[in-house]
Amino acid sequence: MTTTELNRTPLYERHRAAVAKTADFGGWDMPIEYTGVVAEHTAVRSAVGIFDVSHMGKLAVYGDGAVAFLNSLLANDLDRIAAGQAQYSMLCNDDGGVIDDLIVYRWSDDGAYVIPNASNAAIVASVLRGAAPEGITIDDQHLTHGIIAVQGPRSTEVLGSLGFPVDHDYMSMARSDFADSPVIVCRTGYTGEHGYELVAPSAVLGDLWDELLPAVTSVGGLPAGLGARDTLRTEMGYPLHGQDISPVITPVEAGLGWAIGWDKPEFTGREALLAQRAAGPRRRLHGLLSLDRGIPRPHMPVHAVAKGVLAGDVVGEITSGTFSPTLKKGIALALLDSSVAVGDEVAVDVRGRESRFTVVKPPFVQPSTR
Amino acid sequence: MVPHDLRYTAEHEWVRMTASGLAEFGITDFAQAALGDIVYVSLPAVGDSLSSGRTCGEVESTKSVSDIYAPVDGVVAERNDGLDNTPETVNSDPFGAGWLVRVTLSDGEGLQSLLTAAEYESLITAS
Repeated sequence: MTTTELNRTPLYERHRAAVAKTADFGGWDMPIEYTGVVAEHTAVRSAVGIFDVSHMGKLAVYGDGAVAFLNSLLANDLDRIAAGQAQYSMLCNDDGGVIDDLIVYRWSDDGAYVIPNASNAAIVASVLRGAAPEGITIDDQHLTHGIIAVQGPRSTEVLGSLGFPVDHDYMSMARSDFADSPVIVCRTGYTGEHGYELVAPSAVLGDLWDELLPAVTSVGGLPAGLGARDTLRTEMGYPLHGQDISPVITPVEAGLGWAIGWDKPEFTGREALLAQRAAGPRRRLHGLLSLDRGIPRPHMPVHAVAKGVLAGDVVGEITSGTFSPTLKKGIALALLDSSVAVGDEVAVDVRGRESRFTVVKPPFVQPSTR
Repeated sequence: MVPHDLRYTAEHEWVRMTASGLAEFGITDFAQAALGDIVYVSLPAVGDSLSSGRTCGEVESTKSVSDIYAPVDGVVAERNDGLDNTPETVNSDPFGAGWLVRVTLSDGEGLQSLLTAAEYESLITAS
């Protein structure tokens, strides 16, 4: 495999100028932190943070019956939402594993906007194109459009000060404009806070950032990187594709049955997922909350509690783990044998040391998305 | 920021001799900046023997874990217990209140084998 150049968002030079630490995320050179993960995380929970999430994929799907076409492939039921609303969904494989999780914005019966993860955007586009009947277009806008997320209790104030629509419901969107270009203002996010995601053409993204940033900092907010985005989403128990869900981890195992349209006649992976639901999954994604000072990290083994350090059987492994800046203790998502239940105590192998955790049902911190 | 009155290791620890003759060490400003927000510090216990170049603890940030390498040979005389509750002190004052351990040196050689401030500065400038 050859090394390829990392993609850069339209805001890359601004992140460099702000001395952000950047790193490869899904093939994109992205800001990980500006002032520090804890300060940025706290700013989002208590005031507002602004994120460049232009690495996310963007697919416009349109043509006669575009939504019915998507509904025949994606796991969730798009007929549960009306035009102008958004839905969390997944594209599964025939075994029920998750090719990607994504947000679908329903424009009309004949148009939708799909936001896959950065590293899966190409495969989602290719699967949709391969299945699309004549008359349905899959327009890949990954490089022509960017996304800025403004998240936190003061996000409404920030967007309102620039004249953007702010009063629409959580998981819905409004059309607006900026510098004579169309902007979609979505009431969505990955932080658990009240917030917005603005999709705009790359050409105006820099100017949009330059107007939003001072509005954010004037109410005590900060630019925030993917480091804080990860601690924020982990506190909510939101899964990250490639860690908590993957082509070999199903939505039934991950507790995402609520995002499956079980009554639909077809979607990819339906038979496998119905069978797994009926039989009961052998493993389930749970939350783990530290009882001591241990900080869990992905792939650390989880043991049943027994006498003697780490003597118990291995019952699973950590899929996402971090220090929770809100709770000031270690939190994790872990795939555990179905024998383990909420309320149980387990032992995590933290680099050879035993650290005790309680099995809990996420979220770890109450969301205030509405 | 590399204070000139301290000695250093290539693993980004600093060492100073205290008035009471103990070798006090911590991690450098360069190291804390690279780690990011420090949320947990694991230190050796008082009485533990340290051997230079061997790991003797861990510093964990929101995103990663780094080993602490003993910069000198000796026995732990004091540990900075305050870091249990305020590990972020290592970020805010790495060369002062964020010290990690004070050691009774086991030989008379002292800190002569460690890097000077100038040597350490050229090391981090090159990286």
